[in-house]
Amino acid sequence: MSLFHGYETESFYDEMFEAPGTPRPHYQKLYTRLRDMSAEDFRKRTQLADRALIQQGITFAVYGDEKGTEKPFPFDLLPRIIPAREWEFLERGLKQRLTALNLFLHDIYHDQKILNDGVVPRELVVGAVNYRPQFRYADPPGGIYVHICGSDLIRDVDGTYRVLEDNLRTPSGVSYVLENRIILTRTFPSLFRDLAVRPVDHYTTQLLANLCELAPAGREANPNVVLLTPGVYNSAYFEHSFLAQQLGIELVEGRDLFCDDNIVYMKTTRGPQRVDVIYRRVDDDFLDPLTFRSDSVLGVSGLVNAYRAGNVALANSIGTGVADDKVIYAYVPRIIEYYLGEKALIQNVDTYLASNPQDYKYILENLDKLVVKAANESGGYGMLMGPQATQQKREEFAEQIKANPRNYIAQPLISLSRAPAFVENHCEGRHIDLRPYLLFGKESITLIPGALTRVALRKGSYVVNSSQGGGSKDTWVLANEPHPLSQTMGGMSQTMGEGTMMQSLPQSTNPNPTLEQGGAQ
Amino acid sequence: MLSRDADACFWIGRYVERAEATARMVDVHYHAALESGLPGIEGADSPMRWDSLLAISHTAEEFYKHYDVYSDRNFLHHFAFDTENPNSILVSWSRARENARSIREQIASEMWEAINISYLQFRDWDVDRILAEGPHAFFNRVKNASHLFQGILNRTLLMSETRDWLDIGRFLERGDQTARLLDVKYHDLLPAYQEEDAESVEPLGVGSTMDMHGWIAVLKSVSAFEMYRKIYRGGILPASVVDFLVLHPQFPASVNHCVKRVEGCLKRISGNSSSAPSTEPERVVGRLVADLTYSRPEEIILEGLHEFLDGVQVRCIEIGNAITRTYLSY
Repeated sequence: MSLFHGYETESFYDEMFEAPGTPRPHYQKLYTRLRDMSAEDFRKRTQLADRALIQQGITFAVYGDEKGTEKPFPFDLLPRIIPAREWEFLERGLKQRLTALNLFLHDIYHDQKILNDGVVPRELVVGAVNYRPQFRYADPPGGIYVHICGSDLIRDVDGTYRVLEDNLRTPSGVSYVLENRIILTRTFPSLFRDLAVRPVDHYTTQLLANLCELAPAGREANPNVVLLTPGVYNSAYFEHSFLAQQLGIELVEGRDLFCDDNIVYMKTTRGPQRVDVIYRRVDDDFLDPLTFRSDSVLGVSGLVNAYRAGNVALANSIGTGVADDKVIYAYVPRIIEYYLGEKALIQNVDTYLASNPQDYKYILENLDKLVVKAANESGGYGMLMGPQATQQKREEFAEQIKANPRNYIAQPLISLSRAPAFVENHCEGRHIDLRPYLLFGKESITLIPGALTRVALRKGSYVVNSSQGGGSKDTWVLANEPHPLSQTMGGMSQTMGEGTMMQSLPQSTNPNPTLEQGGAQ
Repeated sequence: MLSRDADACFWIGRYVERAEATARMVDVHYHAALESGLPGIEGADSPMRWDSLLAISHTAEEFYKHYDVYSDRNFLHHFAFDTENPNSILVSWSRARENARSIREQIASEMWEAINISYLQFRDWDVDRILAEGPHAFFNRVKNASHLFQGILNRTLLMSETRDWLDIGRFLERGDQTARLLDVKYHDLLPAYQEEDAESVEPLGVGSTMDMHGWIAVLKSVSAFEMYRKIYRGGILPASVVDFLVLHPQFPASVNHCVKRVEGCLKRISGNSSSAPSTEPERVVGRLVADLTYSRPEEIILEGLHEFLDGVQVRCIEIGNAITRTYLSY
């Protein structure tokens, strides 16, 4: 039985299929390759991939299990494919957004023109949990605040891309982009060749180059770059360790570092050694007990002063969280217009602010239709899925909103697009999102042509976070638009190469080449 | 090198070595007892000499706290899997693994994967499976896992400080384990000689069949039997065994060899090419090396092997402490 037998697109935007049995042009080759694969064969490939993950220790511990069972992070072998033209659009839109948000951060930590002009209400910024007044008038190297950005995008029921939220602090997940790719190139090598999938493995090279650029004056020749992790018990520890290894830099914890006379050192077996650039994966709050939370044992006393003095660089900078606040999010289109004089290319999701009296009323009256989010939570916590929640849960949230309107926003429930995922012995549609990664260097912004596609593996679920049962998919960005003629030729050579000449016949007599061409957007 | 990473390497070396030592020891003694010709009784009179194994691993207290029955099954579980036993194979290996996880960016991915895959395999075993497939199948697997790890280490890791720290952990642990093994087993085997003639050194060479068997087991448990044969033509004599396991500079598990290796690593780390010590750890190690280099086995036995070996163990602890103070947590 075919993997896609009985596959339904239902009322959602499906990434792979225009209609049941009719793949979109950029998925045609994948479809042809998989159509006749047995579920058994596919499951075997999945198990091989899982075993590779377990052996490499890319796993999470199942809490409360005495035998210490570890499971690989859920991973769906079916890739998500993004055609070249769509990606080009996303690239322009994401770079525009990041440029504007960086200007916004520079402004609010300096002259605050945007607040003086009343474009963003002052109280929303200075009242934000992640606004850091201690850091005003400090000058990060090159004026860059957000060196690594991993914003979340979704597609609605029409297939329109929208930004769901910005992640400007310490976005995680890029290690899965790189690891997933390695697994997929082993699983479907011929498809990579035929589809011209753009590579992603230059991510760490670009990141290292950008980090080295940040070194303080006089230290540029051979800067000591380190990655600061909260430690082995952090859920993203695998990623920290993986990145440090790929970047060839030391992985340090707060207890490995100390400051003396505004210089940061690490403790080595040959005595203290100066640190120039810190790629930190520790939140602002825990970075420096002298400046922020005094109970933090993860940070380094005196780090913020060393940073202000220009003796060490941090990526990302301090205080960036104010710009990915879910309330400020609603103002991002206005922020883009204010600084760049352009309309936002990628739209936001419609957002109601509980701090706005009209919206406040609307939110409380329509809790059963809305998704409510706390302004500063992440990982799918502090969230109410109105349509699916119990009456009691909705009432609890109503109370919380009334108590602290500034802290809540609401959005209509978006019917996230779906992509096929392998479930038991066939494919079913599951909701997905998209997290691309941008690197902001002194010369330019780089968008890595690939992304983390997170998938809500539970049937009907909209929550893609790994802490809530989400998995991931490899994301293929194509170098060229699919073309009906070359596509058929490529398909033929592929199927012949694998010794199954019969399969090339139905494809080479594809009845609908024009329809497919029209379908590409 | 980051002090915390050096510390992790040191402990990976120690824990992998400890798991291997425990596996060898239990394996050899289990099988030696089967061949001893004594009836296979369980309980305190078991020929397995489980009590001496408890003494070597310093875990008698843990054992009697958790088990009522003195049975092969309980002892095998205690040494192989018990999470209450801080020196069980599974506990040692999982600690090596956690340390390796914390520095996996420092070591080759194959090294981490070797530790991780072995851990996952050990966890698939339990006492029932050991008794069904034979203890040797399991303990040999542990030994091979340690060898695989060391082989990958030798083949992939830079000739760098990382390697020196792994080696310091490995050799310090190995030397310490050899000293402990000999200390306890000598105590077990000793009475036979004392009864015959407590005054003379001569009886040290004369053993009953059973004692001979015990000494062979001691040699086998550190894979020393065949190498011993190549060097000593006079048969299995306790003085020769002591010479080989404690003083011989070329046998890889002898205390002397192990401590010398530690000294070499420490000097490479500090960049000291002179014969005089440049750091406290070098001084403590150097002194022990000198004692082991210039001692004779007969005088060690006459002055009391137990006292001597006890002193060696205390000094191994001192070396560890000096290293920690100087390099790892200053």
